[in-house]
Amino acid sequence: MTAVAAVRARGLVKRFETTVAVDRVDLIVEEGEVRGLLGPNGAGKTTLLRLLFGLVAPDEGAVELFGRPLGASDTINLDGVAGFVEEPTFYPYLSGRVNLELFAELDGGADASRVDEVLERVGLASRGSDRVSGYSTGMRQRLGIAAALLRSPRLLLLDEPTSGLDPAGARDMGGLVRRLATEGTAVLLSSHLIGDLENVCDSYTVLRLGKVVWNGSAQQLRDQAPGSAYRLATSDDARALEIAEQHPGVHASRAPTGEVRLAVQGRIDAYVLDLGRADVAVRRLELVVSPLESMFFALTSDVELDPAGLTELIEAALAET
Amino acid sequence: MSATHALRPGEAVPGQPARSHGGVWHVYRAERRKLSTQLSTRLLALFCVLGPFAFAGVLKIQSGSPADTLFGVWVHQSGFALSLVVLSFCGAWGFPVLAGVLCGDIFASEDRYGTWKMVLTRSSTRRDLFAGKLLAAVTFSVALLVLLAVSSLVAGLLLVGDGALVDLGGRTLSTGHSLVLVLAAWLLNVLPMLAFTSLAVLLSIATRNGIVGVVGPALIALVMQLLLLVGSGVWLHLLLASSAFQDWYALFTAHPFFGPLVVACIVSVIWIVASLLGAWLLIRRRDYAGTAVSRRPGWVVPVRVAVGSAALVALLAIASNWGPAGDTAAKLKASINPTFNNLTLLQQRELGRTVAPGAKLNVLTNCSRRASTPTGPGDWICNLDVFIPQPGAVPFQQTPVTYDVSVQSNGCYKAESPPSFVGQQTMKDAAGNQVVNPLFVIYGCFNPL
Repeated sequence: MTAVAAVRARGLVKRFETTVAVDRVDLIVEEGEVRGLLGPNGAGKTTLLRLLFGLVAPDEGAVELFGRPLGASDTINLDGVAGFVEEPTFYPYLSGRVNLELFAELDGGADASRVDEVLERVGLASRGSDRVSGYSTGMRQRLGIAAALLRSPRLLLLDEPTSGLDPAGARDMGGLVRRLATEGTAVLLSSHLIGDLENVCDSYTVLRLGKVVWNGSAQQLRDQAPGSAYRLATSDDARALEIAEQHPGVHASRAPTGEVRLAVQGRIDAYVLDLGRADVAVRRLELVVSPLESMFFALTSDVELDPAGLTELIEAALAET
Repeated sequence: MSATHALRPGEAVPGQPARSHGGVWHVYRAERRKLSTQLSTRLLALFCVLGPFAFAGVLKIQSGSPADTLFGVWVHQSGFALSLVVLSFCGAWGFPVLAGVLCGDIFASEDRYGTWKMVLTRSSTRRDLFAGKLLAAVTFSVALLVLLAVSSLVAGLLLVGDGALVDLGGRTLSTGHSLVLVLAAWLLNVLPMLAFTSLAVLLSIATRNGIVGVVGPALIALVMQLLLLVGSGVWLHLLLASSAFQDWYALFTAHPFFGPLVVACIVSVIWIVASLLGAWLLIRRRDYAGTAVSRRPGWVVPVRVAVGSAALVALLAIASNWGPAGDTAAKLKASINPTFNNLTLLQQRELGRTVAPGAKLNVLTNCSRRASTPTGPGDWICNLDVFIPQPGAVPFQQTPVTYDVSVQSNGCYKAESPPSFVGQQTMKDAAGNQVVNPLFVIYGCFNPL
């Protein structure tokens, strides 16, 4: 028997006054799948998550969770569904533990050991008795994930879950999501930074101006990526630039700082092997723009990602770092 | 485990425990816990317990009494009177303030903390959340009213004593009768208290602003109090939620009348239903779209609300003349006459004079309003000519007594006479004790319907 999708949204439309925030969006998330919901700020990711949670009513279209229509606003049943939209929020005058106990009560109650367990799992066991008003952004984010885990969800909807987390926290979050997916939980993660989701998601849905502009697996996204960009340091940069001219997919240029930048369409392997054959030692090859990032950029902007466009992208990425 | 068919309503998600749905009771428990931990709730409870004791303590160390309030002159003589005075204060201001502080923030706090999106993404539905929060608000409102009732009674009985209560017909009530009536009076305030609780909930939801929710009920009560002072018509006054706080006085008259009480209960229920229906529709239809698309702060909306409210109040002031006059000379005369009679006999008994059972004074009463309009609440004057039989050529001695009467829209009044007519506020009884002079201030009520 075929499994019913955890999320099935069809033709979702949501307008706010004159703005169409979500425009005829179709979305399916299967059980055990981790789907990334990508898009720049204002693409409609958060509104789409709000629609899935029933926090806002669609103007058109329908949502089914585990095959069950979301229903009217007053009777929405979110059993088995957990997560948060935007940053998770809490009662600041109460401790993290009491906040979790209150949320658990809204789910029908949970014993204290379950609260301890989720606090432990997100690394807040020692701070659980502190008032939330004293928590940092990252701690609140962790508490939000704890609040979601408290429900033992079969569908997890997380909006920018790594926002505010340090790199170690973001990595832990990714590991946690993968473990939940292994247990059969469907996960939908939204982010405007593809790097946050790159090694976590099985599939992606990319939104732009409220519309789905791309939908597919992580491998398809990589395969269709227009290119990638690198920073290169060698024993002989001049020779490296000459060799690049023999590779049509590799566009090399020297930056004002003197370093070599590569805009690569396709794979870089042949070029690196040629450098070795020419006795040019590669001292550093740093990925600045991944294939996924370039694809994301191509899908969510009007810029054509030819070598010049990629170079522009490198400049922007370097400026950020 | 995967779902292999579309789930039916109420069916558990595979891998989920069967008992995962929240429900009204769980929301209620969570809300009760939140309210219990809030400082404002604890302070209110403390105030309700200690306030009456403080009031009784202050009265104990000073000779004055809150004579402007019904039963006020009796607070040094009867603990029941003290409880009723506390109830009168609460009806005017206390209950609306309590309802506002307790419940005006119960929904708006979710907006302030941005937690709607968290609570609405749990297993409890909007209906559960609304009902559970409302139930918690009702529980705490009623609990505070009960605390005040018990505390004021205990404070009165402990610090003043269980002296006889003189009712609004001038009769002396037994301890048991007084206790039953006082408890019934407090009980009758539950519905209007819940009307203001509902109003606070509506304001909390409609404005999404805790300050409006907290202050709003008190402001509305203030406007209603002012409206009760103007106009002579009975209909608008009866429809105001505040007037329902004052109708328990009817229980304490010589001939209790229940018309206004029934109307007050119906009016309270109408306020409750209307407020809650409005609040529920707002909650149900609301989009929780976050800060980006929620209402933008500005001055246009507050100004519109202020202008609209002012226009509404002006309209209501004009409408306060709607319907028959509740306060008329005939009703006042018919009420003050027997009350004066009963209080005079009480005074005579306290002075040690023999009063035959069923004795009655011959009193000719004439009441008029000190304004161009002969009806309505405000300042009245009543001339009572007492004819005392005497042997001799003139069969009656005529003793005139003039009372300045302050009449309220609900038919209750306070009548005062200069000491030259009726003596000082206190007098010595036959046993030499200092007691209240029953004729110094007369309280009474008549049916305005």
